[in-house]
Amino acid sequence: MEVETATAAGSSVEMAVDRPAGPGSVEKPRFDALMPSEMSGGRPQFRKVPVPQHRFAPLKRCWMDIYTPVYEHMKIDIRMNLKAVTCELKFLLAFALAARRVELKTRQDTPDVSNLQKCADFVHAFMLGFDIADAVALLRLDDLYVDSFEIKDVKTLRGEHLSRAIGRLSGKGGKTKFAIENSTRTRIVIADTKIHILGSFVNIKVARDSLCSLILGSPAGKVYSKLRAVSARLAERY
Amino acid sequence: MAMDLDEPLDAAAVAEMGEAALQRLCDADPALFLSPSADLAAAARAASRHIYSSLAPLSPAQPPPFPSLLAGPAFDAEQIWSQIELLDRPLLPHLRRQLRRLEQQPPSQPQPPLEKPAVAEREQSEEEDGEGSESEELKEEEEEEELEETDDVEEMGDDYEEEEELDGRERKGVEDKFLKIDEMAEFLDRGDEEEYGGGAKRGEKKAKKNWMESDDEDEEDEDGDEDDEDEDQLDLEDFEDDDEEAEGAGEIMYKDFFEKGHKKEAKKKDGYTKKVQFKDEAHEIEVDGSEDDDDGNDEQVLSTHEKERLKMRAKIEQMEKANLDPSTWTMRGEVTSSNRPKNSALEVDLDFEHNVRPAPVITEEVTASLEEMIKKRIAEGQFDDVEKPSIVPSKAPKEHKELDESKSKKGLAELYEDDYAQKAGLAPAPLSISDELKKEGSALFKRICLKLDALSHFHFAPKPVIEDMSVQANVPALAMEEIAPVAVSDAAMLAPEEIFEGKGDIKEEGELTQAERKRRRANKKRKYAGSHKERPASLQKD
Repeated sequence: MEVETATAAGSSVEMAVDRPAGPGSVEKPRFDALMPSEMSGGRPQFRKVPVPQHRFAPLKRCWMDIYTPVYEHMKIDIRMNLKAVTCELKFLLAFALAARRVELKTRQDTPDVSNLQKCADFVHAFMLGFDIADAVALLRLDDLYVDSFEIKDVKTLRGEHLSRAIGRLSGKGGKTKFAIENSTRTRIVIADTKIHILGSFVNIKVARDSLCSLILGSPAGKVYSKLRAVSARLAERY
Repeated sequence: MAMDLDEPLDAAAVAEMGEAALQRLCDADPALFLSPSADLAAAARAASRHIYSSLAPLSPAQPPPFPSLLAGPAFDAEQIWSQIELLDRPLLPHLRRQLRRLEQQPPSQPQPPLEKPAVAEREQSEEEDGEGSESEELKEEEEEEELEETDDVEEMGDDYEEEEELDGRERKGVEDKFLKIDEMAEFLDRGDEEEYGGGAKRGEKKAKKNWMESDDEDEEDEDGDEDDEDEDQLDLEDFEDDDEEAEGAGEIMYKDFFEKGHKKEAKKKDGYTKKVQFKDEAHEIEVDGSEDDDDGNDEQVLSTHEKERLKMRAKIEQMEKANLDPSTWTMRGEVTSSNRPKNSALEVDLDFEHNVRPAPVITEEVTASLEEMIKKRIAEGQFDDVEKPSIVPSKAPKEHKELDESKSKKGLAELYEDDYAQKAGLAPAPLSISDELKKEGSALFKRICLKLDALSHFHFAPKPVIEDMSVQANVPALAMEEIAPVAVSDAAMLAPEEIFEGKGDIKEEGELTQAERKRRRANKKRKYAGSHKERPASLQKD
């Protein structure tokens, strides 16, 4: 469905009425598309992205890199809420609220409804651990997603086995992870037992399969050979 | 063959001479034989000639090849020896047979006297004769033994010697070159053996055994011969009885033959097939054989068929016995060491297949040939090294995309950006890894080529222009010169426009005229005034 940008900025829109063609027919009303600011009753929409402790310093460092594309290109208001909000809610909720947040708000001139969500995803991806350069792709492309899963979802590992699995996933100096990233055009973040994958749907699937096989114990060489075959096929498609 | 003309033709005189020569040899000092002496040699020749002629009549092959020994001075030892051997060859076995027959014969018959003293003499002379043949010696010894074994040694006298000699001469009259009485007798004996087995000949053998019993005078007469034989058989027990022998000449009774013949045959051994015989008694013996067949011995009355059956049964029994007996261990099948006597496998020549080729015998030639080959190979450089077969690729090698294991320099957004740009055609297609490698390779090669060209000076090619942004040092060409000045070009230096940008003729400070200086100042003031127009009024001087 095309989004028609209304020329008039006013809330009231004159209804254009079509003259009926034959006798006894009612005029069908024709409505223009709503602006994002007009949606939900004209109130602005918000998104709040919590910032984990370990991402706070990188956020401070890369704040301008985040702010610029969000504010300039996506036309979404973004701000960092440093103050801890106290409220009379339950204990757990208080913890969640007490974390610092990044808040996003639509503006009047936000062109698209999905911009807010995209920005929220972008900031969320940064909070997960992805680089700005990688996360920005979320803003630019529609069909990129972030998929997360845990090692224990694949196989229950404990103690040293878990450590070894994590080591197998990343490889020496991260070479296995980079190999998967490069061949499938995804970005992977391994955070202890959680794994996040950023990329298109098909690529996420391939990367996830490789990571799962690594978790399950297959050696890196085997995974590489499969990757080569798959990436060649993927490259042929485009 | 030269005949010795010195020899008298009279036989007796020759014998005398021979004996004299023998005697001389006997008397000669043994030391004299060590050095060659002509008269001793002559004596030896004469002696051997004499002995040869004495023995020639006894030879079974009549007449002997050489009637007398040719031992003239022209003949050497080898020739004389071969002549003697010619005589001896048939004679020795003949004598041995006679001896054996004599052994088995019961010692009851009177033996004809032999020339024992002459024989003894001969023997002695033979032993001392340097040129005497061994065979003659052996022959003499055998004769001596035979004589000793017989019981009639004492009866020998010179008469018999003469008789034998006479008989020998008479015997020759009967025989000629085709008919040899002894051979005929042998042949007949053999035939009898085959037909009748051993038993038939017993009577004959008894007769044959005693070659010494013959009365030479009676041998010529057939009838007389058989009587003589019987008489001799009869007289085996009292062989010393000369009277019976004397009687045998004319007064022979039936009982002398047939009753005692039984006894004699009873005493005989069974199955004796050998005969001792001299040529003197050849015809006597064959006649005796026929006579003995008529004896009333039970065994000799068996018909031919019965005899054959007896033989067959004997054979059958023998074969059955062989079959029933346990065979030797070599004939049994699998034999372990416990089944055969100890160390018996060592005695038997075992034959088994060797699957292994026998090890080569290394001789010096083999080693030398090997070394030669080695040297030749080394000189030629022809070694049998295993060479790797060069693999010819059937198709072009497939381009493998290398998995980049380093962190990608471009972000994800940039990657998609490049993808989009390439699709839209805004940006050129990015080089693939192989293209980059090719570029790198070609750049390296060009660099090397440039250096090589600079070295050679002959085919100079200018440095390839690589469009790169790089800082150019405005250094005079002289400073940047290489060893080969030809290789340097000015093209890399800064162009004059790059050094100075400007137009018009440039004058130095000293060259400016007054008017130009004023003009310059005026321009400057105008520029300064223009740029400072916007200053606040308060700062402007009035």
